[in-house]
Amino acid sequence: MSIQTLEIIRKRLAERPEELSQARKNGQKVVGWTGYNVPEEIIHALGFIPVRIAIGGDDRLVEVGARYASSKTCVFIREIVGAFAENEDPYIQQTDILAFDATCLQNFRAAEVIEYFFKKDVVVLAVPRNFAEDDAKTYFVHEANEFTRLLEERAGSSLDTAVLAESVALYNDIRKTLKSIYIFQAAKDNVISWEEVYDLIQAGDLLDKKEYLTLLQQTLVELTELQQNPVIEADGDSRIFISGSLIPRGDRKLISIINSVGGRIVGDDLWSGILPHIDLDIKEISPAGVALAYLNRTPHAALPYLDLESDRRLKKLHELLSQSKAHGVIYHTLRYCDPFTFKAKETKNVLAKSGIPLLEIHTEYAGSDYEAMKTRVEAFVEMIKIKSEIVEEEAA
Amino acid sequence: MSKQLFRYSEENKEKFLESDNITFNDGSVVTPEEIWDYLTVEGPVKYPGTYEINLSQGNRDSRDEALPTSLKTHYLSLTFSARMEKAKENGKTIAFIQGGQAVDPYTAADTIALRPFLVGQWYHGREHGNDIYKSVLRRKQSKESAFHDMSFEACQTGGYEHVQVGDLPIDVVAPYTVLRCSDVSYGVEAHRHGPNKDVKLINIDYPMRHQADKPWAIEYFARNLRKLVKTLDEARGKTTTEDDLWRAIKLHNEGRKLGTELADLWWSTDIPPTNSDDRGSLVSLANLDMHGDVQASLSVLKEAKKIIAERVKNGVKGHAVTDNPKRLFILGSCVGINESRSEDAGAIVVGKDDQWSHCTKLVEEEGDPYYNLAKATLEYPYEQSIEKRAQWTIEQIKKSRADGVIFIHNWGCNTQAAISRPIVDFIKRETGIPTYIHERDLHGLRDEQEQNRVNAFIEML
Ligand code: SF4
Ligand code: SF4
Repeated sequence: MSIQTLEIIRKRLAERPEELSQARKNGQKVVGWTGYNVPEEIIHALGFIPVRIAIGGDDRLVEVGARYASSKTCVFIREIVGAFAENEDPYIQQTDILAFDATCLQNFRAAEVIEYFFKKDVVVLAVPRNFAEDDAKTYFVHEANEFTRLLEERAGSSLDTAVLAESVALYNDIRKTLKSIYIFQAAKDNVISWEEVYDLIQAGDLLDKKEYLTLLQQTLVELTELQQNPVIEADGDSRIFISGSLIPRGDRKLISIINSVGGRIVGDDLWSGILPHIDLDIKEISPAGVALAYLNRTPHAALPYLDLESDRRLKKLHELLSQSKAHGVIYHTLRYCDPFTFKAKETKNVLAKSGIPLLEIHTEYAGSDYEAMKTRVEAFVEMIKIKSEIVEEEAA
Repeated sequence: MSKQLFRYSEENKEKFLESDNITFNDGSVVTPEEIWDYLTVEGPVKYPGTYEINLSQGNRDSRDEALPTSLKTHYLSLTFSARMEKAKENGKTIAFIQGGQAVDPYTAADTIALRPFLVGQWYHGREHGNDIYKSVLRRKQSKESAFHDMSFEACQTGGYEHVQVGDLPIDVVAPYTVLRCSDVSYGVEAHRHGPNKDVKLINIDYPMRHQADKPWAIEYFARNLRKLVKTLDEARGKTTTEDDLWRAIKLHNEGRKLGTELADLWWSTDIPPTNSDDRGSLVSLANLDMHGDVQASLSVLKEAKKIIAERVKNGVKGHAVTDNPKRLFILGSCVGINESRSEDAGAIVVGKDDQWSHCTKLVEEEGDPYYNLAKATLEYPYEQSIEKRAQWTIEQIKKSRADGVIFIHNWGCNTQAAISRPIVDFIKRETGIPTYIHERDLHGLRDEQEQNRVNAFIEML
């Protein structure tokens, strides 16, 4: 069973770099952005073409990046820096301006290093560590206004509230449609896989937003025709939830290992997955309103939160696990990704209290650990399968 | 067979006894005689490891027995653990911070602020009679347990091994979340799932990116400082007034000024008046936090300045300094090269950016103390953009007349490691001075390989 719109999306992605190149010839500017709290709607409303910078899986680029940003920086950032050094990625090549945020300190450092070595024009949005406090929000509003001012300078025009409202409406529709589609992958007798939805989410990082919404809506229609009432149910499958460091385009090592040993991924809370698209509630059409809505989402692990009981990241993880009826969590941590590795043991302990097993996979983009990872994932998937079969038998 | 231990030579005793007393926060005084007695009788029994004769000189700060202030810093280090226990018994509040910040607001709130190194010193100083081998093993064991609970990729586990796994009575974990240190800011959160529920946690949120030029960033940080003081007040059950903060600012400004003057004096002559270790340990007194007692640090610093001025005037060369040594400036947090071994190879360390950056920023003494403190803090050279930080570093390199620059970064020190290359690149481009970057391996072993590379660099100079 194949969803035809997914084929169209693949084709449109192949054509996209050339399209961006044409748009730039016609005077449009491309903003390459990265950072969990970058309010993309503002970039869009200022007439820029937003393209997310998120690539991984290429060990060679990691090596190149290490020459500029040291081998002690996280693998993801090293690859990004390496990609800027080589300037061969078709999307990176098309960027005129970069918009980074400081949610993760290493992301912030990447902005500085890229600005210094590759003379890129970088706009940075500072993000408060104490994000949940009122003072921090006041500060963040100033930063959002400053971020907008810097982009306005580059756009040569001011942000129009009516245009921002349109962008917000468009992005809200995208998020709403994605959430509807996401249910299908976790359903019993699913007609679309998590992997397909994951690629679909990441296509939105690159495609034109209006076209992307149309394609998503088309996908949803197709899915509904194939399965009118998707029901998420625990079954005999080894239902795996992925959490931890992001898994950007180009990096499919862990995902393919899980698939190869018979695991079925049914959910994620990855920054490169569904997480940034949920719980975003823009209450006011202004830079401050949009930015605060971003900050008020489920927080990124790079922002420290000091009270375990009220931690919204862990609450959201529990909620998503229960929605997806996952049996276990594979917690992916990238080399030198402190935000996620520092939390692995704690997350494991917290989930253990709810009887949910967690396997941490600490890895980088080299292929050398493939077999070792596979052995561990296989054992975990097997353990989960036995567990889920017991649950199914007991329920029968 | 027990190891042969180093002993302070009686030859220097008379001169040492003529030196100044150390005055402590509580007004108590220790005389040179008492210090001598401790260093020669009690110290070797309690901490034999520090008296070992080996390449690390038993981890003593100094080999210069004729420099009275070095004996005093040694005394303050050896008595640190006992002094902290006593301070706790007397009801003092103790906070855990990170290593690249000033401590004015903690002093104002009558709180002892301890950076990671000092927390370790307190914990390990509780056990007596260890030789170096046993001390190192003990340190490794406690670190291992924290690595297990957090990540082996952490250089710093935020004091977790002592506050949570161990039993150090720290009241508040309250560091500034500066870019200098990624691990301590992330490490604070780890304490939320430790068994010690009594410890209060607070991050003093340090804004990033051209922060010193943004009034709203200064105001935000000032509000954070107010919260810090409130949290410390809650822990100690007393209120800190603005006058208390002014007094603390003035006291710390005095320390910063003295430290800067001392460094300038040291740099003013071609004959290094001390060796690298002594220079480092004396200049780092400027923050007044080094020995858990601001007044004690201040009194040693005052005396050190007098002695260095005297040595400079008389052209006295520091102990074990070779003729025309190659002058090295060291960049990077919490680490440094093995200074005595580098001296043997013909070099001398004339400056470091760490423990120096925040000492160079005086706080204005009129206006709103929180705002002024916030402004000075956001101006730390270490926390500025690559170009600004590198430019400031170049000024220090020029003042110190360094011949070469080494950027060394610890395993796991991501936010320093990430910008080591651009900083060094900028310095090299602007000054033409030879530079070298060294990445320290897991758990910071000062191994032969590291020294060989440093020696090769010195030779190249
Ligand atoms: S969250 Fe982790 S993977 Fe992402 S930029 Fe930060 S350190 Fe790198
Ligand atoms: S080496 Fe770096 S990460 Fe470690 S404590 Fe020092 S500043 Fe922090």
